[in-house]
Amino acid sequence: MNSGFCWVMKALLSHYWRHPWQTLFLTIGLVAGVALWSAVQIINQHARDSYQEAQNLLGAQAQYWIRNRRDQGIETSVYVELRRAGFRQVFPLVELEVSTAAGVSIKIIATDLLALPDDAFASDEVNEDFADSWLKFVQPPYRAWVPRVLARELDLAAGEQLELRDGRKLPPALIQAREQQGRRVLVDIAAALELSASERLSYLAVGRITANEFIRLQKILPGHLELIENQQHLDLRELTQSLHSHLSAMSLLSFAVGLFIVFNAVRFSLWYRRGTLLNLRLMGCDTRVLLLAILMETLLWSVLGTVLGFGAGILLAQALLPGLGASLQSLYDAVVGTDLGLSPWTLLQAWGISLLGLAWALAWPLYRQLPRRGLQAARSDLLLIDESLARRRLALAGALLAVLALLAYAWIETVTQGFVVLGLLLFAAAWVLPILLAGALRLLAWLLPGRLLLARWMVSDGWSQLPALRSAMMALLLALTANLGVGSLVDSFRSAFVGWLEVRQSADIYLRAPQISHAQLLGLADSSQWLAASHHRIGITTRWRERPTQLRGIDPGAPDSLQLPLSSWQGESAAAALQSWREQPAKVLINEQVHFLAGVEIGEQISLQGDNGIQTYEVVGVFYDYGNPYFQFYLPARELASHWRQHYSRGIALWLNPDNPQAFAQAEASLKTLGAQPGDWIAQAQLRKLSVAIFERTFAITAAMNLLTMIVAAIALLASLLAILQERLPQFAQWRALGLRQSEQLLLVATPLLIFCAIVWLLSIPLGAVLSWILIHKLNVISFGWSMPLLWEFTPALQLALVIGLICGLTLLLVAVQWRRQMPQALAQLGETV
Amino acid sequence: MLAIRNLSKSYRYADARQSVLEQLDFDMVASSSVALLGESGSGKSTLLHLIAGLDHADQGEIHFDGHAIHAARESELAALRRSRLSLVFQQFHLISTLTVLDNIRFQAALCRRLDPAYESELIERLGLGDQTGKYPQQLSRGQQQRVAIARALLHKPLLVLADEPTGNLDESSSIEVMGLFSELVKRAGSSLLMVTHSRSMADFLDRRVYLHNGKLTESE
Repeated sequence: MNSGFCWVMKALLSHYWRHPWQTLFLTIGLVAGVALWSAVQIINQHARDSYQEAQNLLGAQAQYWIRNRRDQGIETSVYVELRRAGFRQVFPLVELEVSTAAGVSIKIIATDLLALPDDAFASDEVNEDFADSWLKFVQPPYRAWVPRVLARELDLAAGEQLELRDGRKLPPALIQAREQQGRRVLVDIAAALELSASERLSYLAVGRITANEFIRLQKILPGHLELIENQQHLDLRELTQSLHSHLSAMSLLSFAVGLFIVFNAVRFSLWYRRGTLLNLRLMGCDTRVLLLAILMETLLWSVLGTVLGFGAGILLAQALLPGLGASLQSLYDAVVGTDLGLSPWTLLQAWGISLLGLAWALAWPLYRQLPRRGLQAARSDLLLIDESLARRRLALAGALLAVLALLAYAWIETVTQGFVVLGLLLFAAAWVLPILLAGALRLLAWLLPGRLLLARWMVSDGWSQLPALRSAMMALLLALTANLGVGSLVDSFRSAFVGWLEVRQSADIYLRAPQISHAQLLGLADSSQWLAASHHRIGITTRWRERPTQLRGIDPGAPDSLQLPLSSWQGESAAAALQSWREQPAKVLINEQVHFLAGVEIGEQISLQGDNGIQTYEVVGVFYDYGNPYFQFYLPARELASHWRQHYSRGIALWLNPDNPQAFAQAEASLKTLGAQPGDWIAQAQLRKLSVAIFERTFAITAAMNLLTMIVAAIALLASLLAILQERLPQFAQWRALGLRQSEQLLLVATPLLIFCAIVWLLSIPLGAVLSWILIHKLNVISFGWSMPLLWEFTPALQLALVIGLICGLTLLLVAVQWRRQMPQALAQLGETV
Repeated sequence: MLAIRNLSKSYRYADARQSVLEQLDFDMVASSSVALLGESGSGKSTLLHLIAGLDHADQGEIHFDGHAIHAARESELAALRRSRLSLVFQQFHLISTLTVLDNIRFQAALCRRLDPAYESELIERLGLGDQTGKYPQQLSRGQQQRVAIARALLHKPLLVLADEPTGNLDESSSIEVMGLFSELVKRAGSSLLMVTHSRSMADFLDRRVYLHNGKLTESE
């Protein structure tokens, strides 16, 4: 690199040193865009890695599971016999859910460390400390290995014992950072059996096993147990893919908003540097040297943006991960660790995307500026012609994108295709915006009477502001549209979900205690006093059309079955369809996931593999099933029990006697009499609270990204206005010299800004509705197989108008402060003589 | 050193073409200075831009220091402007984000002809000694023009092309700056072709030529 090149670089880069605000805004735009994008990438990659790593914890080491066909656990004697028979790769697992004294539900997983395969723990963990804690783990009073994030949430320090709702305590806590543990507490199997007051294991895991051993194991396994291949990892990937695609698309949208800000900042830096570029060329700087310098500048920015953006992305991911991890565990039973593992590939991708963004925003316009001969490059009239031409070209490109989006809409079949259409639509709107703003200025100028000179002047000043505000307005439009669209999706979902919960979770108590049968419960002497109705659900999990599928046997006469909300049905009414399903055994109800994702229609015959061969059913109704990633079929319990003998209990729903104020207490006492432990049942209110909490947690990431996108757009607006101020200061000084007051000047700047913001806001309302409509009726259906009515309210739009007003107010305030600081110098320069 | 033959240039305005230079001939020897006079719009600046290779002629030839400017590629023109030519404009064209010292050194650094002794001399002669750490906009217009002159001369170009270099200054400053400028050009061994409206400025130079109706005539 010769000294001449260094001088060119120095001349180009000195701009950023002398204009720190522009440098700051360019950096913020780039960093925010990269941070939002990389945060989601880090989370997605981390989640996928966690699914893989989950295989390495305890049961997930398993090649096979041994489960009770009736989900009633496994006797410890079976485990002992298998070990005695030489199956050293079999190890036990107990899963429990308990409530803390504070009412927080936590999951416990337990195993026998002595029985684990040798490679169950990574070798780097086998050190002295580990050996010490390992010994304490397996000996009374045992240890509870609590994940760090959960310990923080529960405010639990090392050595403390967590108190449960029934007054018992967990073993002393050892705070752990084991990734694979997720949010589960790990205890020794003996401690877990003490807690559960049962001698039954949840299931057995089978490590690496040869084909011969597998056959031998199958032969000696008691009839009530089954050997199932472990495909949890595959299932998780499949079930969570849509969620991760959604997040990726949202992060790309945020990156696009960030990119507009970069583009905006770059345009200003170009505008200011057109003189420098001209000087360089007048002094004989070669075009190739300039190109190389531009390339170097792009590279420098991309490295800076990537390093800072990726760093900020990690922080953001760390902030968002606990909530999302909890949601993934609740929705999919997917364990996601809380300590981020970073992949160099993600960093490279972040660099690649920032480089591409900058190439578009920085290198391309600079390159276009170069071929202009000499003094032409600096002629402002040419730049104005460029601006008008750019508006027309953008509008044309936007119209083209809109047509493409319309054409592609009919062909949407995957989440990715859906987001491509959304992207086309949003960019189409953004690119058409400048010509609409210009049109609005023309219309207003035409409408305003000639005598309102000051008003006409204020409107006409918009022409001076439009080039500088163009990109910021596009970014604002994207941010507002995304905010309204995604906000409406979440509101619609919340409304549908809460309404659905009220019907689906209408029972007062939900009991999950495999050791208690429905008959036992009904046989209780006092049950008639407190029990109004009950519903015992049975089921099995299988695979249908290559996807995890749940078959459920339900009582057609139970209160929740009679009120089952259907989205579509056979015949005249939902009630008639339910009636036909109750009365005819060859009818089936399917969840929306089966309807939308597998394409099964009402009236279609579906085949299910039963114990005695294929069973065929006619679909008579489709029920809503929010939050369930599985395919699900509802059959009358009798029908399921007769064809799937290995079915197991899915719990009992209890409706309490509304006339008995003591019903809840009596029910709890009765359940305890039958041997149920606290945590085996859950009250309706608590269950709904849990369900809503999962919902809110899942969408917390959406809200956070919406907020960040709005902040980024606000920064763009601020940057643009400050740039206008800087550029036009001499002009403002001239007006001041003519007698214009500061308040009038501020009004002059504010009027076009408010006109533009109002137009952007108005445009974002129908666009947000379209976005929401596509998200709900296309993407949500394709991704998750859920449908819901679109709920559109005007209040969020009004709230956003208020936010825009605040942003504009704050920006104008800063402008006023800047004026007060810089105007005296500008005024002094007006009359300058040598 | 500079030979122009049969040079013509016209511009299109609306639907009509307006001729600015018509089969113009001009010669200039090394280490000489020429004032280019003429009415507004007569084509003086256009002629300067054509010599610097900033614009294309319709026809004719421009030879400078053995190079055919009219036929040169952009990279060759850039190399010539960097090392053999200098341009001084009424608007100074300083790089606002670099200090005065960096601006003065810039072109010499580009063509690797930095000469610390001569740099100090120029700075001293132009009275910029205590201004070198400042930025251009912190200087008066007269001082900015001196910076532009120092930048144009530090690499000792063969020819300095100046387009009304004192047009932005008052009369007394103009005379002072012009005196210094012509003296320093001679000291650098360069030639100077300067566009000016002012007869008094033209008197500082060896020759005066008048551009009228697209042709040059010698003037007393």
